[in-house]
Amino acid sequence: MKDFINLSHGAGGKEMHELIKSFNFSNRAQWQDYDDDSSTLDIGNNKRLVFTTDSFTINPIFFPGGDIGHIAFCGTVNDLAVLGAVPLGLSLSLVIEEGFSVKDLKKIINSINLLSKKTSVPIVTGDTKVMEKNKIDKIIINTSGVGIINDNELLTKKIKTGDKVIISGGIGEHAVALLSKRFDYKTSIITDSKPLVEEIQAVKDIIKIAKDITRGGLAANLNEISEKNKIGVLLDEEAIPVKKEVKKLSEMLGINLYELASEGRFICIASPENAESVEKRLKLFNKQASIIGTITENNKLIIQTILGKRILPMPIGRIIPRIC
Amino acid sequence: MNEKETINQHITEIKRISQSIKKNINLMEICGGHTNVILKYGIREILPANIRLISGPGCPVCVSSQHDIDCIIELAKSGIPIATYGDMMRVPGSTDNLEDIKAKGAKIFEIYSTTELINLKKTYPDIVFFGIGFETTAPMTAFLLKNNICVYSVHKLIPPALHALIRGEIKIDGFIDPGHVSTITGLRQYRKIKIPQVISGFTAERILRAIRILVELIKNNKNIVINAYPEAVKEEGNEIAQELLKKYFYTADSEWRGLGMIPLSGLEVKNEKLNAKLKYKKIFNAVPLPKKSACRCGEILKGLIQPDECPLYRKTCTPENPKGACMVSAEGSCAIAYMYGK
Repeated sequence: MKDFINLSHGAGGKEMHELIKSFNFSNRAQWQDYDDDSSTLDIGNNKRLVFTTDSFTINPIFFPGGDIGHIAFCGTVNDLAVLGAVPLGLSLSLVIEEGFSVKDLKKIINSINLLSKKTSVPIVTGDTKVMEKNKIDKIIINTSGVGIINDNELLTKKIKTGDKVIISGGIGEHAVALLSKRFDYKTSIITDSKPLVEEIQAVKDIIKIAKDITRGGLAANLNEISEKNKIGVLLDEEAIPVKKEVKKLSEMLGINLYELASEGRFICIASPENAESVEKRLKLFNKQASIIGTITENNKLIIQTILGKRILPMPIGRIIPRIC
Repeated sequence: MNEKETINQHITEIKRISQSIKKNINLMEICGGHTNVILKYGIREILPANIRLISGPGCPVCVSSQHDIDCIIELAKSGIPIATYGDMMRVPGSTDNLEDIKAKGAKIFEIYSTTELINLKKTYPDIVFFGIGFETTAPMTAFLLKNNICVYSVHKLIPPALHALIRGEIKIDGFIDPGHVSTITGLRQYRKIKIPQVISGFTAERILRAIRILVELIKNNKNIVINAYPEAVKEEGNEIAQELLKKYFYTADSEWRGLGMIPLSGLEVKNEKLNAKLKYKKIFNAVPLPKKSACRCGEILKGLIQPDECPLYRKTCTPENPKGACMVSAEGSCAIAYMYGK
């Protein structure tokens, strides 16, 4: 390993996993972790406490349809929601750069407040620090959250060959909205960032697992499910919902559509008998919710395209648009 | 007809025509964007056995010379602020890369758009832009020169490289000309190269169509250029961009990784005060010439070997820890081959 940290250590890939492994934390026996995102603790009466934390730094902090506060609230709520839990409360820690505009800070807090009211998930504790000018870039937010769930409702059920993969809506909208600010193009697409609690609660009884699609997009998140559960997935490219404008923009920028982040979409896996009901229930929230693939035996993420089958690889490195 | 039917028709036609040609056909796709689509969809595997697709030098990161990379790293280490595109950050120099020396304190700015430099210059008046890319990105660099920003130019031109390639070690029967570069250059310069060429767009259907047209041209011995991407590429190209290039750059011989020195294939900054290569000559003169490594990027760029024939490929050279430039960019042959499991 390198003797200093560089950006790839925070990009969610191999370097980050190696680094975390080297930390060697102890006394974790009573906790069980899922997905690197959250951990659960047996609290008796067939119930488990779910705990998660996340830090948010994003450039730019305001983008079409959202801001860093929106993402910070939804990100933590969704990490609890995908295990089937209803969040009880969140903490909110702010690290702010000296000189940051109070108006902007209020805008960020206002988005958090609105979401908190809408979802009835309170902000229950927090911390505020200010750092000297130029020591950090504008603002960093950390949120942590807890929820309680009945053992038998925990969404970590066994997946079988033949099960179906369902997605809750179109892919890549958050990334395309965010990148429009960085690359200075106009788009009508806004971020898809939203709390997923209602949607997941609506299908909780008939799905086996759920995973919110964040960094690395469909490609990273399905590859993780495939690796962790030692199963394969056959995706049908034509069934994957994507808005026309998102597709065109990803082609124009030369970035892979399946690697684009969402902040308000999840994939879930259900038995073949239940898949259509899941799709139908999810369509009430987003018309583009669709069955997009089938679980296979071969341990690989394969996509059926117009020209035949190919591997959909795990994304490597950071998303960088082409210069050619 | 839907896309699937069109694709099947292209494949049937390619098979029919190539059978009647009765010899091996070497086609080269110049652009890394095309290579990506070809590998992503397994197009090489669908083609008849006598058609070989060879990846060309159309990845700007890959063809930059090792010495230029070493020079810009040295300049950054000496305390001069540098700005460049994200793709350059992990290209290995002889001892470091830009990402690592940035982590250790060098002032390096990864930019998305050259307009960001206008603001950066207010804080860092001596900032140097490391200008890389073909005809597509060079006009943006010209815009910086117009705004008095100092540039280290490794911009390169595609048509002179095509001239060099047809005189090279492999016999090339036809080129799939780049899509984006051609929006700037237009068709005129390709016409001087006397082999069949098709300018193509970037979907699987477009590439198969380009191959279909190429085999037809080869069969009929027609050494002409067909524009199969007319929605983006115009006969005369982008004349405003061409004027900008003429105004701020002059053409000079340029070193391409793998291809060597190609006459009049590089763009150098006309204004001596804004030309970082002259301004910091003293620093660059002290940078030693790079030692030969086991990396075979050069032969891969010429189409002589496939990535998996390089002894470093997948062993010590991976996208997380690239040893050669072709493993860095999403347009590099090795990175693309790695991604799609070749």
